[in-house]
Amino acid sequence: MQTVLSIAVDALAYGMVLFVISIGLSVTMGLMRVVNLAHGAFAMIGGYFASYAVRDLGLGYAAGILIAIVGTVIIAIPVERFLYRRIYGAPQLTQVLMTIGITFCVIGITNFTFGPTLKTVPLPAMLQGSVDLGFRSIATHRIFVIICGFAVAAGLWFLIERTNFGIKLRATIDNAAMTAALGVRTELVYAVSFAVAIALAAFGGVIGAELLPLEPYYALRYMVTFLVVVSVGGAGSIPGALIACLLLGAIDTTGRYLAPEYGEFFFYLAVILIVTLFPRGLVGRMK
Amino acid sequence: MKKLFAAAVALVALSGAAYADTIKIGVIGPFSGPFALQGKNFKAGIDAWFALNGNKVGSDEIQIVYRDVPQADPARSKALAQELVVREGVQYLAGFYFTPDAMAATALLQQGNVPMVVMNAATSAIITSSPLVVRTSFTTWQTTTPIAKVAKEQGVTKAITLVSDYGPGIDAENAFKAAFEKEGGKVVETIRMPLSTNDFAPLMQRVKDSGAEGLFTFLPSGPPTLAFVKAYNDNGLKTRGVKFYATGDLTQESDLPALGDAALGLQTTYHYAVSHDSPENKTFVAAAEKAIGNPTELSFPAVGAFDGMYVISKMIEATGGKQDAKKAVEAVKGLSWTSPRGPVSIDPDSRHITENIYLREVSKDANGKYYNKEVRTFEKQGDPGLGFVKK
Amino acid sequence: MAVSMDQSLTAPSLVKRLADSGLIGVFAIVLAGAMGYLLMPNNLALLTQIVAVALLVLSIDLVTGYCGVATLGHAALFGAGAYGAGIAAVHFGITDPVAMTAVGLLAGALAGLVSGLVILRAHGLAQLVLSIAVIHLFHEAANKASGWTGGSDGLSAIMPNAFFGLFEFDLWGRTAYVYGVVLLGLVFILLQILVRSPFGMLARGVRQDQIRIAAMGASSHAVLLRMYVISGAVAGIGGALSAISTQVVGLDSLSFTLSAEALVMLVLGGTGSLYGAMIGTVVFMLFEDTLSAANPFHWLTVVGALLIAVVLFAPKGLYGTAVALADRFRRRPA
Repeated sequence: MQTVLSIAVDALAYGMVLFVISIGLSVTMGLMRVVNLAHGAFAMIGGYFASYAVRDLGLGYAAGILIAIVGTVIIAIPVERFLYRRIYGAPQLTQVLMTIGITFCVIGITNFTFGPTLKTVPLPAMLQGSVDLGFRSIATHRIFVIICGFAVAAGLWFLIERTNFGIKLRATIDNAAMTAALGVRTELVYAVSFAVAIALAAFGGVIGAELLPLEPYYALRYMVTFLVVVSVGGAGSIPGALIACLLLGAIDTTGRYLAPEYGEFFFYLAVILIVTLFPRGLVGRMK
Repeated sequence: MKKLFAAAVALVALSGAAYADTIKIGVIGPFSGPFALQGKNFKAGIDAWFALNGNKVGSDEIQIVYRDVPQADPARSKALAQELVVREGVQYLAGFYFTPDAMAATALLQQGNVPMVVMNAATSAIITSSPLVVRTSFTTWQTTTPIAKVAKEQGVTKAITLVSDYGPGIDAENAFKAAFEKEGGKVVETIRMPLSTNDFAPLMQRVKDSGAEGLFTFLPSGPPTLAFVKAYNDNGLKTRGVKFYATGDLTQESDLPALGDAALGLQTTYHYAVSHDSPENKTFVAAAEKAIGNPTELSFPAVGAFDGMYVISKMIEATGGKQDAKKAVEAVKGLSWTSPRGPVSIDPDSRHITENIYLREVSKDANGKYYNKEVRTFEKQGDPGLGFVKK
Repeated sequence: MAVSMDQSLTAPSLVKRLADSGLIGVFAIVLAGAMGYLLMPNNLALLTQIVAVALLVLSIDLVTGYCGVATLGHAALFGAGAYGAGIAAVHFGITDPVAMTAVGLLAGALAGLVSGLVILRAHGLAQLVLSIAVIHLFHEAANKASGWTGGSDGLSAIMPNAFFGLFEFDLWGRTAYVYGVVLLGLVFILLQILVRSPFGMLARGVRQDQIRIAAMGASSHAVLLRMYVISGAVAGIGGALSAISTQVVGLDSLSFTLSAEALVMLVLGGTGSLYGAMIGTVVFMLFEDTLSAANPFHWLTVVGALLIAVVLFAPKGLYGTAVALADRFRRRPA
């Protein structure tokens, strides 16, 4: 029993890390219909910003997160304006080509500027160490990530379902031409959604850095994981992504505990099963 | 299409224009991609050698031709090796971070009349695949075996191994098991984990459940080591007194700043620590740090490359700059010298390097810099893995 | 009026007929092959590798370009061919290069059947993810079966016999190269016939409108699956060629990286055309090789920039955009 509980805690923590990093991708893929393989690259840029701010400039962790988000979004604005705007509505394969190109560039530039070593975002004393849960101990930082995950999920859900902007966004997705005719500046809606997605990526990159360490190849290394999570959950669905992350986290963690040697088999067989049963994702919203 | 071909040809003509009595050395390694750091260290080691010894051996000038194989990719490695030998006319092949890349290229050596100096790839069997291979790095068996002894002496009788599920990891598992059981200990469980593992918490749970007193692990240098060490600390294994043993891959110097306090006290065995205390190493480290630019990036592949260059220079001396692979390899058999890592020699039978293996402990120096502190020396270790190579 | 119409019909149709029959393509392959041999005689290993990968990219084109299946796991078919040929040589003593190729073809076709059965169960993004799962499962299986495959150390000591007992697979790689070009030419002719056949038309139909195909009484799933098997055979030949020429097979031949890279090459050249597939491969690999030799440390950035530039300036891929441009030129003076 204790073991089961212990695995459940690990699964929850791992799932939430996945969620925070991949939810931005779910927004770009589901709401904006862009297969954004450069998502990891933006998460990485965020991480580097935070690492620079906290480790080299000695700023606080919260300031680091803020700088990461603002900095990454500032970098992303021209990228959106000149590159992404050209591929909205383009065939998926074209989007793949473009975003892989962007990822390669980001990896190359990061490697050139910051070198290939691992970068960390030092944690504040509050988040260091571990907490005793009675039956086991868990890193304080992981509890922080779990809370962040739920906060992000709630915030996004509110933004999309309950605000004026959310209404415009949903309308733009359903019928951009009609929405524009009604006087909504769809370009702006796209730009803002893109910025939100990038901000989420950067945020995830920073707080997930304990588990997915920052280095130039980060941008490609975890891309597959993000892509799997998003499509299992159903691109564009926040509850879907949440359930997918928890489910995949549970499968992965259990597999790794029971039969680590076959962990990879476990995980991908489960993915095949889920995707075959729910081809539109667990909570599909795509038509 | 045609233009592209023409451009390519023009480029070939330009780069192929060789000077008289210039000896070319082809170096294959991961210079971009996820292992770019290790390739960078190859280059730093080679540049350090040039800085200290000049780029001439006798009257011959040495020129390095670098080729990039970002990840283990034997087909590409072989194609590049072939191109280096046939088109660039290199007299020596060197580098090789990954075993399959080295294995693929060994098939060319005899025909190309080219010796190969392996500067990293650490599987015992490489040496047996061609008589023209010399290795200046280490094997996983070589660096693993002593730590089993250490574990037993520190009172561990029941150990668990946790290794990455690929060639070197399996080598490490076998080596540890063989050595630990020879010492009279018992390996209660052997676990292999996929290379792509990011979250090690469930595995730590397994370690806890096994009741082992010591944990031996092998992970390739790089990002996962960080999460691994954190998981070891955060899941209460450290406080429970489960002792931690690994090879130096886990605590390579360039990863230490990222690991930080979490790594303090970790015990690893390896052939080289940047902090090794000897005049030879001080000179080497000064030159290599300058070559690499950022001192924190300096790590073990640099010393393999540095010594590789030494071996090649001896080969060039012995052959008078003429291309004669057999003579070149013959000349360095039994060669012994003082490397930055300590006294070393090339074993005449295996053509592998005999070296000291050090037990190190991650410590913090007066300036707050983390380093691998050498606490014990296992002298003149050969490669115990050779006996296990399938014939 | 009638005369001019006649002319406009017959003049292009002669060229078109030549193109249709694939003669031009074969001619181009032979010419490019010969040029490669003459211009880069010292780098045949690279050229052979390009030919092998070109077969993989052609095979992706069959399912992606012609049938609209999205896949990031096609290296499974290539790797199956490579390991098939390699295992046949190392464990069963089948060292005749042609026989090894045949084994590779069969192994590739089988892998095509297996992955087709899985991947064709979904569409769009879900399909992409299934293909990713497939390639990881193949990769992991090969890693586990290290007794057969050599695991991560690679399957080495593959020693193909001399061709007809005369032409050895040596350091200069001439034999492997010529063999590769011949294979590519043969495959190209067969594929050209295939894509123009009623079956090929049906496949295009499936891409455009599945419902209509179903209404016609054809099963789109069966068409796609058959195409997958054929595609597997083509990729398998490429894998076998790679195993024969490099004499080593590594886990990278079953990797996600190779799958993605090959897909990038296809999109770069232009999907839905055999020429596009081949041009994309040649351009990408020569570009990559030249760049990474010129600067082994920072070439990736430039490759990335190339991909971005292609999307911006040649959105249909190099070949597709060239054809579109040529069309526009032809129409304007008339």
